[in-house]
Amino acid sequence: MNPAGATRQIYWNISHIWVMYVLLLPALAIFIYGFYRQIKKWRRGVPAARFDRPLTRLKLVFKHALAQQRTARDVYAGMFHRFISYGFVVLTIATTVVALDADFGTAIMRGHFYLYFQSFVVDLFGALVLAGVGLAAVRRYLSRPKKLVYTDEATWILVVIALICLQGFLLEGWRIAATNDPWASYSPVGNLVARTSLPLLSESTLQTAHRFTWWFHLLLSFGVLAWFPYTKMMHVFTAPLNIYTAQLAPLGASLKHIDFEKTESFGVNSLAAFTWKDLLDLDACTECGRCTAVCPAHSVGKELSPRDIVLDLRDAMHGLNSDTAIIGSTAATSPEALWQCTTCVACMQVCPVFIEQMPKIVDMRRFLVMEETEFPESMQQAITSLEKRGHPFSGTNATRIDWADGLDVKHISEVQDAEVLLWVGCGGALVERNQKVTRSTAQLLDRAGVRFAILGRDEKCSGDPARRIGNEFLYEMLAKENVENLKKHNVKKVVTSCPHCFNAFRNEYPHFGGNFEVYHHSEYLSRLVSEGKLKPIATTNQSVTFHDPCYLGRQNGVYDAPRKLVQISSKGVAVEMTRSRENGFCCGGGGGMSFVDEPPDKRVNQERAREALATGADVLAVGCPFCMTMMEDGINAQRGDREMRVKDLAELLWEASSDPY
Amino acid sequence: MNDVVICLLSPASFDRAAQGLAGAGRRLAEELGSQLKAIVLSPQSPAIAAEVAQVIDKVIVVDQGEYQPESALSALADVCRQLSPVAVLFGNDTYSQEVTPRLAYRLDGAAVGDVVEVTVHQQALRVSRQVYGGKAQATIELKRTPAVLWTRSRSFAPAPRLSEPGEITELSLDIPADIRTRIVERKRESQSEQRLEEARVIVSGGRGIGGPEPFNDELKPLAELMGAQLAASRAACDAGWVPPTFQVGQTGKKVTPDLYLAIAITGASQHMAGISEAKNIAAINTDPDAPIFKHCRFGIVEDYRKVVPLLRQKLIALQNSQR
Amino acid sequence: MNILVCLKQILDPEIPAREFRVDPARREAERGNANLVTNVFCENALETALQFRETLGDAKITVLSFGAATAEDSLRKALAMKADAAALVINDKTPNPDPLTVAQVLAAAIHKLGSFDLVIVGREAGDWGAGQTAGLLAEELKIPCVSFVDRIEAMNGGLRFKRQTDSGWEVLEAQTPVVVSITNDEHNVPRIPKVRDVMMSYRQPLTQWTLSDLGYEIEDDKYYQVVDLSIPQKESRCEFVTGDTLDERVESLARRITEVTSAL
Repeated sequence: MNPAGATRQIYWNISHIWVMYVLLLPALAIFIYGFYRQIKKWRRGVPAARFDRPLTRLKLVFKHALAQQRTARDVYAGMFHRFISYGFVVLTIATTVVALDADFGTAIMRGHFYLYFQSFVVDLFGALVLAGVGLAAVRRYLSRPKKLVYTDEATWILVVIALICLQGFLLEGWRIAATNDPWASYSPVGNLVARTSLPLLSESTLQTAHRFTWWFHLLLSFGVLAWFPYTKMMHVFTAPLNIYTAQLAPLGASLKHIDFEKTESFGVNSLAAFTWKDLLDLDACTECGRCTAVCPAHSVGKELSPRDIVLDLRDAMHGLNSDTAIIGSTAATSPEALWQCTTCVACMQVCPVFIEQMPKIVDMRRFLVMEETEFPESMQQAITSLEKRGHPFSGTNATRIDWADGLDVKHISEVQDAEVLLWVGCGGALVERNQKVTRSTAQLLDRAGVRFAILGRDEKCSGDPARRIGNEFLYEMLAKENVENLKKHNVKKVVTSCPHCFNAFRNEYPHFGGNFEVYHHSEYLSRLVSEGKLKPIATTNQSVTFHDPCYLGRQNGVYDAPRKLVQISSKGVAVEMTRSRENGFCCGGGGGMSFVDEPPDKRVNQERAREALATGADVLAVGCPFCMTMMEDGINAQRGDREMRVKDLAELLWEASSDPY
Repeated sequence: MNDVVICLLSPASFDRAAQGLAGAGRRLAEELGSQLKAIVLSPQSPAIAAEVAQVIDKVIVVDQGEYQPESALSALADVCRQLSPVAVLFGNDTYSQEVTPRLAYRLDGAAVGDVVEVTVHQQALRVSRQVYGGKAQATIELKRTPAVLWTRSRSFAPAPRLSEPGEITELSLDIPADIRTRIVERKRESQSEQRLEEARVIVSGGRGIGGPEPFNDELKPLAELMGAQLAASRAACDAGWVPPTFQVGQTGKKVTPDLYLAIAITGASQHMAGISEAKNIAAINTDPDAPIFKHCRFGIVEDYRKVVPLLRQKLIALQNSQR
Repeated sequence: MNILVCLKQILDPEIPAREFRVDPARREAERGNANLVTNVFCENALETALQFRETLGDAKITVLSFGAATAEDSLRKALAMKADAAALVINDKTPNPDPLTVAQVLAAAIHKLGSFDLVIVGREAGDWGAGQTAGLLAEELKIPCVSFVDRIEAMNGGLRFKRQTDSGWEVLEAQTPVVVSITNDEHNVPRIPKVRDVMMSYRQPLTQWTLSDLGYEIEDDKYYQVVDLSIPQKESRCEFVTGDTLDERVESLARRITEVTSAL
């Protein structure tokens, strides 16, 4: 037979086709209404600007909605998800082709296209869908990972997808069998069904079964279509949209600003106080649970679960839990859980659909702090200290310049044309252990011949702890003061050993007109080494492992400069922890958590300390004053078989640079 | 009249603090060349007056029944007007502190509190006290007479016994009860009958203790072994871990023990202000740079949770070996 | 009920000892880099007043301060904590007025502000710690005084106070008007004002008077005079117990302790 004429009869064995069109209308209406209803709900949120730079956004969609890069970080899940999603893309194209041929008089499914695409490829991808569902079911019902959400809806979705595909194959197979289709071999699965059915069913049975299944398949498909936007299947549309409107700035710039003059209520305690993007986030969630799986608070047994916050808010938005106040309305949104967040953004880093979990937590914190003034007492002390003294370390007897005893470090007003302002930060000045880090940094800059100066007593906290705890008002006051101060002294370049200050200056201060060139000390020191201004000679053989600070690594993408410093500071081996770089595990100190007393069996820093000790390295290198405190405490508490020293990158570099000869 | 008068308000005994007060009074009286008198208001036991008379030239007992602030003040003012003293001295108990400024006002005198030294300077009285949370020392000259002062009495040496006991007079005053304020309930919450200011050994806990249980489970047994009283810094009291009566510091008890063991206390100057007269200070703290160590005779840098149980064992062993 | 709370603004008592300096000629502490804060017992006093008002359902709380122009910040913070009215008597004459002067000025201001049922002050200030304001003010106003209070309750015909003593506590019943001094307690830790209230507090009216508005003239050194102010030099070396193991070090510690206690 001539392949050029290959095709099949659409609607073979089916009559009263008009019923299909009649049934399609309500299904479509319910489907469209489902989206319309949600869009209306998103629009109740406050505005947000997320439509700039369309090309960049399209690229993101391509990478993550089409190529599904983040989804595929979990190889198994990535595989079955691609099977199902790509499978459905192909099936949708195939169905569209049928519709076009059936209703618009085209003749697309003919010949080679019919044989190779409409028959073969479609069979293949249909089988992939089934395989994908199978793999998903194995994970969901046999492995039962805790991060998944086990609802009836999830089960039914898998069931109906499988059923639709199976029905498709049955229909194809029985048609092939009953019509003695000459092109059967181009539809391998259908052919298989046909061959198995032929001996079992008579021709008339085949026809009846086919007709019955055809209408069942139709009803099921239209049912799924109508049901679609009322389930997580909606992510097929909301996820790409969410990825398109994702935050393009570095993760460190995730928090929103408040216009204190114009805003009625500060922070969020109702859905309408979120932005439309926040609300869209809720409908994009696929219940994959990865955010909760990587959450450091959750991994040590605390209540915090980013996944559940998103899903509970989603349920509230869908009216299943329609209390107007959202904080405390469910266990996930309880203040207790909200106060456990370290703002590490591992949740945002891992989310395949780019949901922004952490800013929602901070938004709710803002309400608790600024509207209700209800927040943990230890954080209250830090805030009060910030208000009264410009630093969060209530009770310290140290001054901002104690660390400089014996060093020739000058105030910026005394240095003409200073190249660099060394921003010491509160931790680096007032916490005794960190004073040594500041000394090392200053000594290295001096050794490299850098003309630098400090603000000394004029330094005030960057405002990061206030901002993360939720007191945006105090943060703004501090930020504006600092920006003014730096501008007054004509500062252009800032180097700091604290990633929180680094993040504030680089990503948050431009909002207040502070545009400075900002470097983390590891970046700057690393550059000094490559420029030959520092010539370290490693003399020790210690093996070193580096703990990525969340605010330097994941939030700002700086991973290599610290590692370079580790390499050149020791002749020993540099070991990587399993959870490193963008997958780094938080030390537990961010988000105001270093001021809180955690229950002894639920300490994030101890979990990380165990991981560090497991590398067997002699030294744990850190690049942040909070990490220093948390990791030293954590390692002390573990007291593994061997002592592991915790040192800052600057200290390691200084050890390799300060030759006595 | 040039007398120096000391006042004991509702004393339970002629304790070390009262003896120190008498000592301070005697030194001042000698410098001024005047008599030392005492007003004992509502003593809780009849024997007290006799003990006081061993060291005081003239003892005036005024029995008003239980102490009530307004009537006690009126009584004191009455007696003092009759005596016309140059100085009226009190200890650092609650009643003395509240009475002093008001008594000064009624006598057209001037008051100063928390005094550690009284001297005579060219006809005027000068006193020394700590200010600014213990960071500075001030010398103040009183410009009106009498000088009405409350002192850290226990830090003064007791007065010498007189060759013959002083005269005891009992005075009854016709002072109507002032019903504008009335104490209707009194509660003693002390750990033992002894006041913290009397304690010779004190075990004290601070912010680093972390909660109320260790005070009971760890510090209390240690204190018992050492024959010590328990105390705490303001941070621990504000957190509700121990009652406010435990508080030692600028606002709290001023104590003068022979040994003050500070456990998990940083040693901010406001706390040090309460123990500046302690003879020996020792500390257990995880931070080698904690300010407390600058005031210590000896100490250990370690987590108290590791030290205290072991310390108890060691102390028991040492006590046993000394029997 | 009309309640008056007195506030004092002082140099931050928590500045590091290293940065604390005195001017020996002027006999006062140097401002240096220190911040100005409301005296903590005054904050306790205000908090006690606010909590008491909550139990009453309604009462008017006025805050009053006698100090430099900067004391306005303390009063604004009090307004943010929801005090109803604020008044400042500006002291541009003497940096460290004696307790009697303070009491007389406060009394004059109180007479100008109206009549009050309850006057609350902190038990002492974190700088000079004289602790005399409550008592002298009561004498000036010719009303009774209850000191070291940490709890206030209303009762039929007056007020009930719980106050701290060295060995425990006492309960007093009093008629109004009365002056009360407040001491710290786990319950009167000052509340944190809401941000909106902080913003609004700067728009609220605040009465300002000079000493001549009150018809008062300060007489220097009529009550007492500070003749010297210095920072004592204290040098002492701490002996850190030695030993290779924890056991040895604690043994050392136990011995040192026993040395002292067995001699008593």
